[in-house]
Formats: sequence, structure tokens, C-alpha cells
Amino acid sequence: MEHTQSRDACWHSRHHSKMAVCIAVIAKENYPLYIRSVPVQNELKFHYTVHTSLDVVEEKISAVGKAMADQRELYLGLLYPTEDYKVYGYVTNSKVKFVIVVDSSNTSLRDNEIRSMFRKLHNSFTDVMCNPFYNPGDTIQSKAFDSMVSAMMVQAS
Amino acid sequence: MAQCVQSVQEFIQDSFVPMVAVLCSEHAEQVTRKNNLNFSELLRPFCRLTSEGHMRDPNNQVQVVKNLRISVNNVVTRPSVPTSGVHGPAQRRLLSEVVSACQPAEGGVANVIPAGDYDLNISATTPWFEAYRESFLQSMPASDHEFLNHYLACLLVVSSSEAVPVEQFLKLSQEQHRIQHNGEYTNPKWFIPNTLKYYVLLHDMSQGDEQRADSVYEDMKQRYGSQGCYLLKINSRTAAAGTDEQIPDPWSQYLNKSSLQISVNCLDNTHPLQLETAIDTPGSLDSLRAVAAETKTTTVYTGMVAGTSHGACLTLNDHDRLRLFIQEFTFRGLLPHIEKNIRQLNDQLVSRKGLSRSLFSATKKWFGGGKVPEKSIAELKNTSGLLYPPEAPELQIRKMADLCFLVQHYELAYSCYHTAKKDFLSDQAMLYAAGALEMAAVSAFLQGGAPRPYPAHYMDTAIQTYRDVCKNKVLAERCALFSAEVLKSQAKYSDAATLLIKMTCEDSDLCSALLLEQAAHCFINMRNPMVRKFAFHMILAGHRFSKAGQKRHALRCYCQAMQVYKGKGWSLAEDHINFTIGRQSFTLRQPENAVSAFRHILTNDSQQTSTQQGAFLREYLYVYRNVQGVCEVALPQLPLPCINSSATRVYFGHERRLAEGEKQAATHVSLDQEFDRDLAAVWQDLEEQVVATANRGVVPSTFYPTQCCLNSQTDNLRFPLAVVEEPIIVEVAFRNPLKVPLVLSDLSLLWKFTLKDFSQPQPQDVMVGDAFTISNEKEARLKLLPRQTGQLNILGLVYNLASTPTGDSTINSPSALEGTWVRGRQDLKIQGPRLNQTKEEKTSVSHGPDRRLDPTITPPMPLLEVLTHHCPLPLTQK
Repeated sequence: MEHTQSRDACWHSRHHSKMAVCIAVIAKENYPLYIRSVPVQNELKFHYTVHTSLDVVEEKISAVGKAMADQRELYLGLLYPTEDYKVYGYVTNSKVKFVIVVDSSNTSLRDNEIRSMFRKLHNSFTDVMCNPFYNPGDTIQSKAFDSMVSAMMVQAS
Repeated sequence: MAQCVQSVQEFIQDSFVPMVAVLCSEHAEQVTRKNNLNFSELLRPFCRLTSEGHMRDPNNQVQVVKNLRISVNNVVTRPSVPTSGVHGPAQRRLLSEVVSACQPAEGGVANVIPAGDYDLNISATTPWFEAYRESFLQSMPASDHEFLNHYLACLLVVSSSEAVPVEQFLKLSQEQHRIQHNGEYTNPKWFIPNTLKYYVLLHDMSQGDEQRADSVYEDMKQRYGSQGCYLLKINSRTAAAGTDEQIPDPWSQYLNKSSLQISVNCLDNTHPLQLETAIDTPGSLDSLRAVAAETKTTTVYTGMVAGTSHGACLTLNDHDRLRLFIQEFTFRGLLPHIEKNIRQLNDQLVSRKGLSRSLFSATKKWFGGGKVPEKSIAELKNTSGLLYPPEAPELQIRKMADLCFLVQHYELAYSCYHTAKKDFLSDQAMLYAAGALEMAAVSAFLQGGAPRPYPAHYMDTAIQTYRDVCKNKVLAERCALFSAEVLKSQAKYSDAATLLIKMTCEDSDLCSALLLEQAAHCFINMRNPMVRKFAFHMILAGHRFSKAGQKRHALRCYCQAMQVYKGKGWSLAEDHINFTIGRQSFTLRQPENAVSAFRHILTNDSQQTSTQQGAFLREYLYVYRNVQGVCEVALPQLPLPCINSSATRVYFGHERRLAEGEKQAATHVSLDQEFDRDLAAVWQDLEEQVVATANRGVVPSTFYPTQCCLNSQTDNLRFPLAVVEEPIIVEVAFRNPLKVPLVLSDLSLLWKFTLKDFSQPQPQDVMVGDAFTISNEKEARLKLLPRQTGQLNILGLVYNLASTPTGDSTINSPSALEGTWVRGRQDLKIQGPRLNQTKEEKTSVSHGPDRRLDPTITPPMPLLEVLTHHCPLPLTQK
């Protein structure tokens, strides 16, 4: 497939494989605890995208009945595809939301990979919560968390 | 989508109505002109029929026609805009004017939609969208693949004052025949080869001979049959009589709407390309006629602007006559004509269907479909597949379907459209197939009692075909407008939103903006309202509106979206919206809103980068400066920098150093020194002892320790004392929340002074600070010199605020201040300490007074300054 693409696109797919372009952690009350995105110029756009995706998250959560809420799977799957991006969601039992935005052209990312990214994110988030100096509800400023997120993101070009 | 005034059924029905053309003789034109109207305009308010009509379908079933509207128009042979599938510039301008003319009413109905933890104030209706839609459908050029807006009938109007009216009728009839069959004009388009001609004798009651008119009418009845002609008497009001009578003016609402359109038409004519085509038809009288007609419409337009009333010569009786005429024409002339044609078409189709249809399709299959034998001559191939000649047999079924649709026989229409669709698809005539699909879906929806569900996929296919195969955006948009409206009526908001969003495109900002706004309304109307999607699409709509030059609509969209983002922690988005609101408000000359929007960006804990903040600040200063230029208001409150008012320190008396060389001042108080509670206690103790010694061992009950410097830790319950001619120094602590430095200059204190003793009145001096920059935190000291006794209240600060010019050096040079700066004030309000004495105070939050900034100025007092030289240490150590 890459043969037909321009050099630029080749570069693109090589560097963007297995990578997210935006990762966000949203509090139970739907305000951002953490948002990182690359490239930085598009920050605003990602903020809008993540914010809008919360509607779908809420819809998906409410679709699962109250009684079933305990057995609910944390991973919500693809929330919605936009022209350029795919947005995936994950909700912890304490209603903290994780959102990962992936480039639409990125076909190498399978559902399983996204799942494992979310699992990693969740583990790292748990570590942050376990920090006695972290106030639940504050924005996340942990270096460990930051570097874990960086590892999952596309390197800023 | 937002709520509409019309129901869906009404909306669709009114979008497709029987079209009737008008040809008027010169004399007849003069008669109607007395009312400032031409004949078709005269009829326009009466074109909706209030009574039911009846007709029989081919199976002899009676079909009731309810609430029918007909559309009466003058014949204009001007070559219309080519049906290229995109709007011409004139149409774009018209649509844009229509939208910008329709603004939400000030303080209009806004309903509060509770959605989760949001309460949104949203106007339920969007009249600008409806206005757009109406104009859009009206400005739709007649297409060859459908007949719905082709003329079905022609009214031939002749005045009774004519010498030989019958001759005139003959002339007009020939004229109509020429226009339709000459092949010279592609416009107007006619439905059926033998168009219904309806002969109208117009009689002016105010001047003509009524008996003669009657006799001419009798003659006409002989000639054309009583069903084919009419005697219309109007103008029964003489200009002199009954000026006191108030006659309603039903025309104004119709003509005001169309006036824009007329003006655009005129512009159209001056368009260079169109002018060329007009010249291209040489030797044609009609091009001249068209021009003449055009100038007439312009006069109508200018007349309208001048505010002339319409129908000045018509009485209410005349109104009734007009109404009756339309009714008579429709029920006696038009409907039977349609009925006859449906019957004929049906007969043709039945005879054809039996054998030939199946045979042809069979042969096509057998011979490999390479050539289609039937219509190889006239066939044209283009991108959208096959094009049929106007009277092709394949089109007959579509014609019949359209006729049935116009007379509201939706069941028959549906089955015809359905058959037509199959035929067209097998011929690969994609444009026709899309048209049939669209109308099949619409008629399926309009069928009463819902025998079949609305086939949404028909619409989707139609839209896709129109857009992708036929490259006709206009038709695709029309189709989408219908589909979205139908989906909305069935509460399928999510589908409607998807469809609307899909229809947005790069070429038309206005259209995209309107569709996005409707999509946003769909999201909010869902069973579980999707507030954030609503907000996001509102922002997108606002963006497109502003690109389309619709500033007011853009601002409204952003403001509605703001409700969702406000104070929810999404500061980046919030800043962006505030910034846009600020800019739009500024260009719309709403400076107060602009300023408050910008203030939000700068004050809330900004997450922006320093360059972004610098840009915000410059924009803010620029807007602010303009606001001040426009309206001379009292000094405005500035949001920046933040003042830590509780850290304010006030020092009374001359400033002095504690130690200078070997001299040591006998005080511990200085502005340069931090407050030390223990030290203060020592001095207070000392003072008390001195006072006691002076008063023979008794400390008077009024004793109160002197406090030279007041700060947040001193006792500020009493009004401090300051002495005349001794300075008061106020130190204000600034904090800059931004990442870019701020430049303050011309700093001075604001104060109020009340005299207590009416001696020599003299103003007080205020020390003015130099320009300085604040990068994060900084204090400024300001000196005040009271000149007389009284009560002083220090209220706040006045200063010039500016941003640093790109380079951050040379701040103190005057050039740094030449950039944009604004003068404004900030109040100093110090909250006293929290009270915690009584139970009441403990359970509630209340604060005591803080009188640091309210000194009482006393008459001159002796001032004693003690300095010690070489003070031995043990003296001060107890």
C-alpha cells in the first residue's frame, strides 16, 4: 500500500504507527485532568474533539443499564470517527474517562493495541492516585505519568 | 433542527405547487398598474385556496385536494442562470441578504433546555434558516429532469377597454404558442405540449363600460367555453372616494419578500455574461419586451422602497372577486386540465406497459446492452448518464407522477415515481433516477395513514447521486433539506444531524453554516441531549457564518456555544470562544461585550502560551483603546495586573532610614522592613511605660499605641491618624498572572476627601510613580501629602496599562509607551480579618472592617525624631 503513497505519507505512516496523537484524562465531573497532544498547534482542535467525545461516552455509559453497571466493560471502543481522527474511550469505575485520539490514516492500530494502551494508562493513573501528595481532582502533574504518555504518543515533529 | 413555523407536510406541499404563467396585454397591464402591482403580483395574496377541490383519478376514485396553493408568475423569457448545479453570484447574494436580514428578535423567546448539569438558553426557532430555505427553493432553476416547476397553464389577460379584445386574446395565444414551441427559449419550461390557456377579461370598474365588458364576455364564453374564460372586475374604488376607509394591504408581506429577489434579478441582467446572451438573440422582439418588463419590475422595486401602498384602487369586494377568480380558475380550469392529462398519460402508459416495455427490456438484455435501440438518435451522454429529449416516452411516467403529486394524490404519485425510478436506473439515466427517488421518498412520506415507512435510503441514494454523479450541489441540497425535515418530524435527530453535517461543503460557507447550526439543534433535541456536540457544531457554524460575512449570526452561535464551555475547566476552548466573541463584538460595535469577553481571557488562570497571551493582551488593549475613543466613560476597571489588596501597606510620616552611618533611629518601623510581631510588642510596651510615666503612673483609658506602618497583621480596626503636611505612603502589591510582562505608567492614587474643618481649602498632592514593568510580582509605593484636616478615603489606583513591545529591554524609555496603552482604574478593597469571637461569628463567615486606607487627617502635631549616635548595645537589651 505504501508504494503508491508519496514519500511524505510514507514518513507519516512510519512514524505514526502504534501512536496516539492526543491522550486525555477527564475527571468524573467532565473537566480535564490531563490533556497532551501533538502537534502543539492543533491543541485547541483536540480539546474540542475530546470535549465533544464526552457526549458519546455518556451515551455509552447510560446505554448500559444500572443493574449491569458493575459488569460493564471499561473499554468503550471507538467513540466516533471524524474525517482525520478516530476517538476511543475508556471509563474507570470511578467514572474517570480516558480518551485516546488516533490518526485515521493509522491502520496499523488494532482494537487490541488500543485496549492495551488504555490498560497502561489506567495503571499509571492508579499510581498517580496512590501518591499521597496528589489531591484527587487536581490536574495531573506527575513526571512518571507524563513520560508514560509520551511513550504512547507520536513524537512531536 | 430547530422548530419551524410550518409543519413538514405543509412545507413540502408548499415547495411544489402548480405553476401558472401570465401573459398580459398592454392595456391590462395599465389597469393593474394603478394599484402599483402587475397582474401576477395582484393575485399573489389570494393564491392559497381555502376550500377543498375534487378530482377523479384514472380509477374514477374521487381525490380531495386540500389547502392547495398555486403559483402565478409573469412569463420571463430571459435565459435563466444555467443549471450548472451551483449557485450563481447573484443567487448567493440574494440568499446571503435574506439570511442577514433575518435576525433573532431582541430578547426574543429563548427556552431553557435542561441537559444534565447544563441549563441552556437557546432560541427554539431559527427563522433565518426558514427564510433561507424558502428563498433557496424559490430561486431553484427549472430543471429538465423534473416537471414540478414547469408551467401547467397560462393566463391570457386582456383589458375590456381594448378595441377588439378577442383579437388581443388571439395575439397573446399565438405569443404563448410561439414561446413554448418555437424552440428559441429554454425558459420558461412548460409541462405539457398543449398548455391550458385561460382567457381573462380584465374590466376596470372606474372607467370602462360595464355592459360592453359583459357582452364581450358572453362572446368569449361562446368561443372558449364557460370553463375557459373569466370576466374579472377590479378597481371599483375611485381615487377620490373613501380615503378614510382602511383597506388591509395583503401584498406588503409578499412583495417585501420578493423585492430583494427583484433587485437581484436586475443585477442579474447587468451581469456581463447574461448581457451577452441577451444580445445573442437578434431580431427578437421579446428580448426587448423582457427588458421592458425588467424596467417595470425595477420601478416596482423603487416604488416599494419609497413605501407606496399597493392595491389603492381595490375595495374589499375586489379582494373577494380576486379570490373567487382564483378559485374558479383552479377548480374549473386547472384541476380538470390536470385530471384530463393524468388520464391521458395513464392510458398511454397502460398501453405501452403491456407489451413493449417488457419486450424492450428483454431485447436489451439479449443484445448485451451495448446499444439502446429505442432512442439512439436524440440521446445525449454526459457525466450524469443519459439525457432524454423533452418529450421522450420514458419521461411520460415521471410527468404523470408529478401531476399526481401536485394534486396531492400521493399514493398514485408514489407508485409512478417508483416505476419511473426503476426505468431510469435500468437506462443508467442517473439524474432522472435521483429525481424519481427523491420524489418517491417524499410522496411515501406524505401518504396519509402511512401504509409504508418513509424510505430514508431513497433519499440518501438520491442525494449521493445528485452530488457525486450529477455534480449538482443545488439539487443535492434541496433533497437534503427535505430529508432532514422529514427525519426531524420522525424524531430521528441523529440521522438528520448526520445528513446535515454530510451536506456541508467547502464552497458555500453560508449554506454550511446554516446546516451546521441545524445539526447542532438536532443534537440538543435528542432524547438524551448531546450538549457538547451541540456546542461544538455551534462553534463550527459560527466559524462558517463569520467566513460568510454574517457577523451577527456568528456572534450568536458563539455565545450559545459559550454556555456549554463556560466555567467547566476547558480553558483553552473557553479562551478561544471568548476571543472570537470579543473580536466579533468589536466589529459589530458592541465594545462593552468585546471588552468583557477579552477580560475573561486575561483573568482566568490562563493556560495559554506566552505568545498567545501577548496576542490576547495586545488585542485587548487595542479594543479597549477604541472603546475609550468612542464613548467617554468614567475610567474603566482594568483586569490586570492583579492587586493583592490585603498586602497593601500604609506608612504615615516621612520615610526615614533606620540606620544611617553611625546614626541609629529610635524606631523599628520602616517600609523596607518586614513586620515583626515580637519587636512591635516590645515597642508597644515601651510606649505604654512612657505614657504611664507622663501621666503619673496611670495609663489613660484612651491610650492606643501608635502605629506608623499598617499592614495585614496590625490592628486596623480604628481609623488611623495622619498629620497635615506629613506624607502618607501607600505600598500596593501587584501580581501579573500572565507570562508576558505588563508595563504600568502614570500610576496615581484615587481618593475621596471630606472636610472636617473649613479652613484653607487646598488640594492634595499625589506622587506619581514612574513607568515600570511587572513580570510576576512587584510593589509600588505612592505618596500622598495631605494639606488640610479632614477624612481621607483611598479608593483605588489609576494607571496606564500597556504591553511590552516585542523586545523586553528599554522598558523605561518613552518609546515603550508609544504602543497601545489604556488608562483605567482598579479599586483597592481590603477585606478585614475573619471575625471569630461570638458563636454567631463562628458559624457564619463575616469579616471585620479594615481601615488602613481611611486615615483621619489631624492638625499639625509636634514631630520628634530621635537618633542615637554610637548607641551602646546593652542599652537596648534588657
